[in-house]
This record gives sequence, C-alpha cells and structure tokens, in this order.
Amino acid sequence: MEVSASSIMSIAERPAGVAIQGGELPLILLPSNCPGCGVGLDPEEMRSQNYVCECGHHFRLGADVWIPIIADEGSFQERWGDVRSHDLLNWTVPKRYEAVVEELLAEGLNESVRTGTATLEGMPIWLAAFDFGFVGGTLSIVAGERLARGMEQAASSGVPYILVCASGGARMQEGLLALMQMAKVNAAVGALHDAGVPFFSVLTDPTFGGTAASLALLADVNIAEPGAAIGFTGPRVIKQATYADLPAGFQSAEFQLEHGQIDLVTPRTELRPMLAHLLEMHVRP
Amino acid sequence: MSVWEVVELARHPDRPYSMDYIKRLAPDFVELHGDRLSADDPALVGGLGRWHGRTTMFLGHQKGRTLKERVGRNWGMMHPEGYRKAIRLAHHAARFGFPIISLIDTPGAYPGAGAEERGIASAIAAAIMEWFRIPVPIVAAVIGEGGSGGALGMGVADRVIMLENSIYSVASPEAAASIVWRDNSRKVEAAEQLQLTSREILAMGLVEEVVKEPEGSARADYERAAAALDEALVRHMDPLLEMPTGQLLQHRYERFRYIDSLIRAEPDFGPKID
Repeated sequence: MEVSASSIMSIAERPAGVAIQGGELPLILLPSNCPGCGVGLDPEEMRSQNYVCECGHHFRLGADVWIPIIADEGSFQERWGDVRSHDLLNWTVPKRYEAVVEELLAEGLNESVRTGTATLEGMPIWLAAFDFGFVGGTLSIVAGERLARGMEQAASSGVPYILVCASGGARMQEGLLALMQMAKVNAAVGALHDAGVPFFSVLTDPTFGGTAASLALLADVNIAEPGAAIGFTGPRVIKQATYADLPAGFQSAEFQLEHGQIDLVTPRTELRPMLAHLLEMHVRP
Repeated sequence: MSVWEVVELARHPDRPYSMDYIKRLAPDFVELHGDRLSADDPALVGGLGRWHGRTTMFLGHQKGRTLKERVGRNWGMMHPEGYRKAIRLAHHAARFGFPIISLIDTPGAYPGAGAEERGIASAIAAAIMEWFRIPVPIVAAVIGEGGSGGALGMGVADRVIMLENSIYSVASPEAAASIVWRDNSRKVEAAEQLQLTSREILAMGLVEEVVKEPEGSARADYERAAAALDEALVRHMDPLLEMPTGQLLQHRYERFRYIDSLIRAEPDFGPKID
C-alpha cells in the first residue's frame, strides 16, 4: 500500500535536526492488535512512533498527546483551561448534558478544544488541539471561545497559529448556540488572515460537520493525516438521504487532496518537521 | 401549539417562500444567475430589485412548490455553487453600495456525494468568513426553516430576525435524533430538546426580533405576511445605512464574536473567561 510505504520511508528520511515529537508523549490505551494490519502492538514502540503503526495506520489521539507531539518539551502554556461547559438548554437525552460534562471532566479531559502558547523548534506558536474524546470533539461555546480568543491574540501578537482538528461538528446539546460558534471562530480566522499571521490546520480522523465547514479548512495550509476521514456530511447520513453507493476511500484525506480541499497529506511522523519548515518559510525577514 | 406543530408550520408546503416575499418587496426584481465558476445553484435565488427607493441585493433559499419544481430547486438545499454564487453577488452589491437582504429557508446544505466532491464544507466555511468582510449592510431573516450550517452560510448579517413560526436549529430534528439515538424517527423529542422555535432563540439572544405572522400563520395571508416582514426589514436596515463602513463591520464582528455572552438569563450562561 502506498500509505505504508511512504510512512516507513518518512521515518527513515525525516529531516535531520527536527524530532518527530516535541515533548514526551503519554502512554495511551491501544487495542492489542492494529486494526490496519492485525500486527500485535507494543505500546512503548507505538509511542516512539507517535502512535503510527508500521502499516501506516494512524491511531486517534487526544489533545493530551497532540500537544507534546507539536510543542517543544515543557513549552506549552495552557490558556483558559478552567472554563467549563454548562447545560443551557436543559438537555436530558439520552443523558443529562450536565452529567455528561461532569463525567468527562472527572476522566481528566478538558473540553473538546485545549489551547495555549508554545514553541516549536524554538519558534513561538499558538496551539489548539481538538479532543475527540470530549463529546466527539464537538464545537461548543467553550471550544469556540478558546479558539477565537487564541486566534485574536495570535493576530494581534503576530504569532503563528497551529490547529489540530478531530471533531464531529457542532455540539447538539448546546443547540443553536453551538452552530453560532462556526461564525464566531470564522470571524477570528478572518482576523488572523487580515493580520497576515500564518495559520496551519492539521486535519485528523475524523473532521466533519460544522468544524469542517468553519475553521478547519480555512488555514493558509491545510495538512491532513493519511487515511483521515474529512467531510461535511458523514457517510451514514449521505447513504440515508440519497441512497448513493459511496466509493471506497470517499472523504479520505487522499480523496480531499484529489478534490482540491487540502494542500498536503503528511504522515504524523513527518508532521513536526513539516510544520517547522512551513513556519520558517512564513517568518517575515 | 406544540414544538412539533411549529416545525410542521415552518415546513408547510403552502408557506410563502423567498420568491413570494421578494416579488412583493421588490416587484421589479431581476434574478441574477451563476457562481461565475461552474454552475448556477437553483436552490438559492439572487438578484436586484428596488426596495424603498434603493437598489437592494436579495438572496434567498427557494424551495419548489410543485414536485417538479421541488426537484429542480433541490428542496432549497444548496450545493457548494450556491454559496459561491451568494458571495459573488455580495461582492457585486459591495461594488455598488447596495444593501443585502438574505432570506433563509433551508433544511440544510445538500447531504450528497456531489456536494462533498465539490467541497461543500470549504464553500460554507469560506462564505461564513467572507460575510464578515462585505462592506454593505446585511439583514437576514429566517422565513421558514433555518437548518444547520447550510443556513448559517447565508446567515452572517448585521441583524438577524425570524418570522414567528420559523425555526432555526443546529441540526434538523431528524439529524439531531440520528446523532443522539441513531434513530431519526425520534424527531419530535429531538425538536423539543433543541430549542429551535423563534421565541426560544430570541430568548437566547441569537436574533434581534421575532416578526409576528398574520392569524393562521404566514400561509393564511401572503400579503400581510410580506407587509410584516417588509416593515421589520426596513426598521432594521435603516439605521445600518447610516453607519460608517468600519463601524458596520466592527459591529458585525462583535455580534458573532460575543454572541453567546448576550445570554444574561442566568449567571451560569456563557463561558466565564478572564
């Protein structure tokens, strides 16, 4: 398979001097065998490869792993981490929203987006990472506020903005308030663009709905992970609505590359050197 | 009236559609077609008409009334070309200083393979971002269904108002039920949770006004429904026409940037930041 060949090559050929990760990654819960190739997985070995199997399968990661992949060790300064979501619509199905939030907070997750400042190879950046584990990485008021605030500060300070996406879209439990976050964050993306501040978006599996239709695809450079599913409407809903047979690979990163929606498909093991290279090229003399 | 009855009213096949209003607001309306890239999206009508003595750009989702027309209009569900046409026409309006009226009436953007292949996500994203840069006044009105990102792609405006029996929702009740229970038949329960009626949305501070419809709802009297919409649109547009462009764009930015902080109903509403 093309994906596996390129990702193995990339580990060997990555540019000298830029590590594949910034800080040390936490160990995460992995299946005993790779869903891509069936090989038995050694957690320590997977960690050293940024949770990419030799076959090219990229495991989904939370914000707690993404931050040390991109940020230099110890450089991440989280902002607005103490803000939490509240139930504004008395949402009770299939479970009380307030209880859902409390459970996830107790598990150590902190909303669907975490953000802050950091450095990458010594270069200052703003970093925001979606966390698919928190209500499917859905855009909420808190997520939108963290994103917009960071982008505004990046725009006024001239610090490049790096986003890692993994999201099902807008959060149902916050109703129309969640939909409005798309406009809120896009207003802030416009501010970034107007200020001429570089914005790089890393699209990981999966990026859909209101997140794909707002900030995720508006970056100066859209970078997708191999095999990531990216689109607006999910395949299940497309099939329900149109009875269409969707071809294999529909809405994959490679499909989106072919259809002009993203700039690059970059394996996770090459991502950090790529971001460092792009940052260097965008720094104004 | 139950929430589901409101949803059915908002979607009623006899409810006035965008063209029913536009023809009454601007009888000399001239439709303009195409995104100047590849296609014309019939789910969105756009064009110019004189409205209260001023050339105005009208945009609106158009559902069809007959089955043939419904198929032709794709039930008011836009493809990427529709959003690109909208922004093309907005730039036209900006060149000549024409104000823009956007009428929203869509179940959502089209959930089909072709829309995905041609970049529906980035078309909506780019439109939402671009509306913040259009240097002329924009008033949007939800006249029927305001469904999801497909509606918001036409809903970034200086003022947003809703007709009394219209709905505006993060996802259609069917889609929300499908997400919550993987069962879109539980749409009635989903509609009740979503708080999608005009009064609930006004209470959340997300729209400026709810426009009262004639007795028996808008479909009972197209003339009076159009007159009520016209009166509200003028009242919201007039002060915008006096505003310097920089101030207009700054207000539009702030309207959406701080949209959830408008909720002051309870101390816990909105994020507690800084």
